[in-house]
Amino acid sequence: MTRRFDAFPYLLLLPAALLTLAIVAWPVMETFRLSFTNASIRATEDYVGFQNYERLFSGGFVAIIWRTLLWVTLSVVLKLAMGLFGAVLLNAAVPGRTIFRVLVMPPWIVPIAIGVFMWSWMYNGQFGMISGLLQRWGFLAGPFEFLGYRNSAFLATVVTDVWIGTPLVTLYLLAAMQTVPRELHEAAWVDGASRFYRFRRVTLPLIAPSLATMALLSAIWTFNSFEIIWILTEGGPRNATTTMIIDTYKTAISRFQYGAGAARSATLLILLMLLTGIYLLLLNRMARRARRLEEASA
Amino acid sequence: MKRLLMSAAALGLLASAAQAQNVTTLHVINCGADGDLPVQNEHIAAWEAENPAYKVNLEYVPWGQCEEKAISLARAGDAPASAYMGSRTLKMLADNDLIQPIALSDEEKAGYEPSVLATVQFDGQVWGLPRAFSTKGLFWNKTLFAEAGLPTDKGPQTWAETLAAAKAIDEKTSADGIGIPAASFDNTMHQFLKWMYSNGGQVVDAEGKVVFNSPQNVETMEFYKELAQYAEPGPLAYDRGKLEPLFNEGRIGMIVHGGFGRKGFSNVDYGLELIPAGPHGAQSTLLITDSLVVFKGTGVEEPALNLVKYLTAPERQFEVDKQGGWTPVRLVEGAEETLLADDPNWKVFLDGIAIGGPEPVMTDYRAMQDILIEAIQGVVMGEVEPAEAVAEAQSRLEEIAD
Repeated sequence: MTRRFDAFPYLLLLPAALLTLAIVAWPVMETFRLSFTNASIRATEDYVGFQNYERLFSGGFVAIIWRTLLWVTLSVVLKLAMGLFGAVLLNAAVPGRTIFRVLVMPPWIVPIAIGVFMWSWMYNGQFGMISGLLQRWGFLAGPFEFLGYRNSAFLATVVTDVWIGTPLVTLYLLAAMQTVPRELHEAAWVDGASRFYRFRRVTLPLIAPSLATMALLSAIWTFNSFEIIWILTEGGPRNATTTMIIDTYKTAISRFQYGAGAARSATLLILLMLLTGIYLLLLNRMARRARRLEEASA
Repeated sequence: MKRLLMSAAALGLLASAAQAQNVTTLHVINCGADGDLPVQNEHIAAWEAENPAYKVNLEYVPWGQCEEKAISLARAGDAPASAYMGSRTLKMLADNDLIQPIALSDEEKAGYEPSVLATVQFDGQVWGLPRAFSTKGLFWNKTLFAEAGLPTDKGPQTWAETLAAAKAIDEKTSADGIGIPAASFDNTMHQFLKWMYSNGGQVVDAEGKVVFNSPQNVETMEFYKELAQYAEPGPLAYDRGKLEPLFNEGRIGMIVHGGFGRKGFSNVDYGLELIPAGPHGAQSTLLITDSLVVFKGTGVEEPALNLVKYLTAPERQFEVDKQGGWTPVRLVEGAEETLLADDPNWKVFLDGIAIGGPEPVMTDYRAMQDILIEAIQGVVMGEVEPAEAVAEAQSRLEEIAD
């Protein structure tokens, strides 16, 4: 007996599919198309083949890619480490932990621009709190402009990004930790496992998929993080904080080189897709491992 | 009776709707914030009263995005009727066929100082009408000068005097000698251009040829390098806006700023000079104008041009200048006397009009700006030698030259 084709489910899916095509697929395709043109503010544009890509990789863009990878790695690792640490603390059975959970949120709740402006004043050497305190405690002889030098500006943007991004990681991992079956901890405790051993061998493997998910999402958000660097340094000093997204904005929007900007966007997209592929592979492996662990404990 | 009244009301509504349909809206983008120039709103209302067929939709967009917005709209085929743009963008807009030239009679041209008109004029045509104008001067803190044992009757007139004053203030007071903006922002380039003009340098010559690599400009970079030793720590973190509170708090001895900066310096007893002269030049300044342009292909070019000319008519423009604290754009009889009576410090800004140099004109002016800023930053940070920075900038500028 052959099954009759039922078009109704596809009809129900159609609006969502059309919407996705309109707001995701079409802009992506248009970006790739533009990347092979010399589109600018001139009304006409010509096909230029791979010229935009050739120029991109013969110029300083490779250095920008490496800088972006360093920025993202530092930022994501710090966010995950601090988020994990915060989640462990908030998961502990201490009185008033609900208040602590609420107190973690402000950096994430405060509008990004306002938070970043606050940081830009804190980094100010003359009026900023950080330089002031370091001078008072004798670590600095005079005002220090954190955004005025290559390395300090780079680290300052990472710190601000970590400040903004950590609360979400903390809450996400906290939620994951609360799904870990209590019996596993009790069994390990009965077997004489220490607190750290239980964390390393029970909690961590079971929250690993969540950790990997957050790592990927955080990496994608950090790759695309624009406003933090733009407000603090606009990519300076001397391009020390120019990441791929900043370079793309400067090229496409500030200089109106839409074709060259699209080539940068396309490169960024390909990198993110690679990252997503790696993540999916890792996620599958971790899920298999977690399943094995659960089966073993059952 | 009731039916009659309802019919009359309906007819009235239809009539007003029809009238509303006959009113054409002119979309005008203005950089800045609503409330910056109340007098401009009055002028627009007066123009609308004289031209009932048109309504002006004045959209204020913050400075950081307004040029991008106007240009992106134009590129997308939805250009505003008119927009307020930095005059440095005019060549790019004109070369890309986005704005239309503005025909001015000889009489209208005579209403502008030639140096002001030059900021919006190239290829033999005028491409925008100057709306805001600034000349810059060197503000110096008399109290800090006295504390450092420097003369207080007159500020620095030459680079040598500027350096000596900056050094003395840096060494003998708790303040830094001078404020240098070197952030990745346009006034980093503007600041440099002022010193460059006071040493007889240029970025591009009258024919549009890049002439940045000159002994005068190497000298200017060397001067900058020396001056940076006595500037606020970490100049690359500062744009002009961030330096203002430092000068107002007496933390830096000197700052270069426009007339509109005076309102932010209420705590300081300051003197004002034109930008001091370099070894190969005379005291000078940089002339920066912002203009009102008329976009092409909107179908309302004619009323837009009419509006722009109306707003920039001498008396109205002078009212706007006064409210903005800007150097007067137009030659209005008695304007100079009025301003000087109000504040004798206007003299420096007025003297600069005839002797200052314009912003260099290049189609890809943003790239030019980035190249110059990188060169300046390299020198200020001590990463690049002045001659090397100038030579590298020259070769990069040649790559983007028209």
